[in-house]
Amino acid sequence: MTDWLLLIEVSLAGIGSGGLYAITGLAFVLIYKATKVVNLAIGEILMLGAYVFFGFSAGLALPFWLAALGTVVVAGLLGAGIERTMIRPMLGESPIAVFMLTIGLGSILTGTVELIWGANPLRLPEYLPNQPLFLGDAYVSSKVATAFAIASVVVLIFLALFRFWRGGVALRATASDQAAAYSMGINVPKVFSLSWIIACVTAGVAGMLVGAIGGISPTMGVFGLSVLVVVIVGGLDSVLGALVAGLFIGLLEALAGAYLGGEYKTLATFVLLVVVLMVRPYGLFGTHEIERL
Amino acid sequence: MFLKDGVKRRTVLGMAMAAGLAGGMPAAQAADDIVLGGSIPLTGVFAFAGEGIHAGIQDYVEIVNNAGGIEGRMIKYVPEDTAYKVDASVAAFNKITSQYDTNFYYGDSTGFAKTISPELDRKGTILMAGASFASELNDPEKHRYQFMAGPDYTEMINILLEYIADENPGAKVAYVHSDTEFGRDPIETSQKRAEELGLEVVETIVTKPGSVDVSTEVLKLRRAQPDYTIFHGYVLAPIPEFINQAKQMGMETKFMGTFWSMDNSMVMKMGEAGDGFMGVMPYAYYYDDSDDAPMLEKIREMRPEYQSTAYMQGFLTAMLMTESAKRTLEAGKELNGDNLKAALNSIEDFDTGGIIGVPISIPGNSIPVGRIYRADMSQEKMVPASDWIRLE
Repeated sequence: MTDWLLLIEVSLAGIGSGGLYAITGLAFVLIYKATKVVNLAIGEILMLGAYVFFGFSAGLALPFWLAALGTVVVAGLLGAGIERTMIRPMLGESPIAVFMLTIGLGSILTGTVELIWGANPLRLPEYLPNQPLFLGDAYVSSKVATAFAIASVVVLIFLALFRFWRGGVALRATASDQAAAYSMGINVPKVFSLSWIIACVTAGVAGMLVGAIGGISPTMGVFGLSVLVVVIVGGLDSVLGALVAGLFIGLLEALAGAYLGGEYKTLATFVLLVVVLMVRPYGLFGTHEIERL
Repeated sequence: MFLKDGVKRRTVLGMAMAAGLAGGMPAAQAADDIVLGGSIPLTGVFAFAGEGIHAGIQDYVEIVNNAGGIEGRMIKYVPEDTAYKVDASVAAFNKITSQYDTNFYYGDSTGFAKTISPELDRKGTILMAGASFASELNDPEKHRYQFMAGPDYTEMINILLEYIADENPGAKVAYVHSDTEFGRDPIETSQKRAEELGLEVVETIVTKPGSVDVSTEVLKLRRAQPDYTIFHGYVLAPIPEFINQAKQMGMETKFMGTFWSMDNSMVMKMGEAGDGFMGVMPYAYYYDDSDDAPMLEKIREMRPEYQSTAYMQGFLTAMLMTESAKRTLEAGKELNGDNLKAALNSIEDFDTGGIIGVPISIPGNSIPVGRIYRADMSQEKMVPASDWIRLE
């Protein structure tokens, strides 16, 4: 007999953790969409966000909201700093060089965290609710559910900014046609900077959520690699793609883990990746660029 | 501004030492020094253990040298940082063994131990131990010149199973392990032992390395309703979240771990959820005063602040190495791999001064002894939950 309750519980758990993939994927997509940089350091930026939050909340014993606000500010400054000092000077260089730069950046961030906080795994102070949560008969981890709710709010803010804010519109304009954006008087370098700031803030928030559930360590940047799969499946330049693929891969991993075994989670994700790349090489929702000669 | 003093000081010390080593310290070796080389992970993912191991070896070597060495010969400890990378570890081995006539070596990982084994056989001059408790290394024929200062991973789980079978005969047991070589190591072999002991293995859950959310796995565990759940292949994450969610669901299973997830500082990081967490530990904890332990007192005197279980591992490894050197020299034999290993295997009912609470023997490559400890969050300590268990 099919155990429907298990199926429902597993699906909810999967969608919950998919929310974390989606929000991190968004940070990835935003930078790629605006600047065409594949930022492999996104996992490490996420990790740094978690550690900065740890520093504010456990180290300085600030209340949760102040620590979160501080993390957002530091993440934003970090984004601005990285863009201005490392990425902008690389404008016009080969994409591979910029790609390698982000790998180096990831390594520097890991080293910095190890220097300041050491290499030992740590636990964030408990700030997410810890009471059991039942939707009908189905158990949902309250932490994961709250993280999902926060991630959803961040995504909604994100979409609203894109739609209604001048900066957001400028960002979309730059993404769709840089030269045209320039000629319309949009300050493109400023847009680049903006995209890094928003992406790093998003990754920082994701770091706080991921860290609250799984604990923090300098190696938690590998989470970024799972997210790389998400954005490739969804389409590197598609916000919708990151959201849909994030939730879907979360669900797929949970189902594979529950019915096949934990060792099949990665296999299931990569099989999906290969299939999607064969059918739609630019991702499910990515832009299919046509080059005319 | 977020610096935690202790961490910073340790890290900076570690780095300074690593830098000093990398810069090449004067390679002075007195003609008759006994050399203990080491691939020590002072940085990288295993640094939490490397720092302890390093301090433990250093302290024991200091104790021996202050007491006049072995038969008048001093021990020279030559560590090199590896960042827990096999290639760096092999490079460190080559560097140290080419600069010194090395007698003992401390390796940092299973990967390194397996890689270097043929080289140890070829040289025939070095006895090696290390941070790995891999069951595979516990084969005196295949790994002639190696040993481990404790039970291998299969033996650790078997000690837990003996405890369970004694406390709750016929109990239901579940395993949760990481999908890594480390995580998979003892699972199959110890399942057989569980059956022999009349225990029922109701579920084996594998987690993806680095996985954040374990909700799905906890749901599976709840359906299996085990009396005991054994974690293996982790240091900290995802154990706390696992226990947290299981307790939220009202599960009453008892959670257990193996050596690397059992250090006091790690377990205390689990917070309230960790209360009652049990596990197998081959060594007494730094603060343990349940047995008469002159060596623990000595350690507490040398280092007034808490020392990790990795420290105890390094300390005991150095103790066993020096003991085998002492026995070899007393017998008037040359210090080489065969003689040192034979001397090590001659250790019988040996008193470790309380590092291990019962006299130990090393008939093969491991010491199949351990004790069950339980986390008591009110004291913030691990307290003994059983007597020392010796596998036959």
